[in-house]
Amino acid sequence: MAVPNSSIEEVVVERTFDASRERVFKAWTDPKLVQRWWGPHDFTNPVCEIDARPGGAIRVHMQGPDGTIYPMTGIYKEVVEPERIVFTTTPLDDKGKPLFEVLTTVTFVERAGKTHVSVHNRVLSATAGADMYLQGMEAGWSQSLDRLGEVVT
Amino acid sequence: MVVDTLSTAFAALSDPTRRMILDRLMRGPATVNELAKPHKMTQQAVSKHVAYLERARLVAKKRRGREHLCSLRPSAIRQVADWANAYRCYWEESLERLDHLLREDGEKASRRGRTK
Repeated sequence: MAVPNSSIEEVVVERTFDASRERVFKAWTDPKLVQRWWGPHDFTNPVCEIDARPGGAIRVHMQGPDGTIYPMTGIYKEVVEPERIVFTTTPLDDKGKPLFEVLTTVTFVERAGKTHVSVHNRVLSATAGADMYLQGMEAGWSQSLDRLGEVVT
Repeated sequence: MVVDTLSTAFAALSDPTRRMILDRLMRGPATVNELAKPHKMTQQAVSKHVAYLERARLVAKKRRGREHLCSLRPSAIRQVADWANAYRCYWEESLERLDHLLREDGEKASRRGRTK
């Protein structure tokens, strides 16, 4: 596979939402709302404690379709309503040790009543086992697909 | 070991000069001298960065006469790219769920608005 540019460890994801910037920003900063969307399909967040202000903590437990818990901590660096949020996230292994640290910058731009959101992720550090985290998640996804297959066939 | 390659690769990628060296090598192999030119750095300084990239298995160095020819090692780079792709999926799916949430809540709000 060709590598597009030198910043291969940077992941940028963008999306336009048919909602006002205030509403979209709130969905990123209100724990009750974040709890309902954070994480891949079929994942839930039994724990979602976020304190969206500079220095505020993030503590999220994502739960995969197979029941596996993926704990994650983080810290808000910048919260500029309703334009920008900067935070770090650190997924933890089953012994509570950090696997990798990502700095995420989210920008909100309003265009003709819609809101364009850009999520820019930069890996700050990674430890041995960093790839196991996402592999485990993918296992969770494929297991749910297996179950779907059982239901359909 | 697979897992260790990924973490050393990320550490190697955390430096802007090393990212620029990789960027140059993506266009083809180059000598240390050629890599040093655009950076206004000494050959020794660039050699140190190249050595770091070698340890992370992102770059291979071969002797060519009196010089060293550097080239990319695709396997470690592919691992980083695979990781980035998986992480991208994680965010793409999260944003899709956010989109659904905003639509649902938006519809509820407009229904409430109409009944009032």
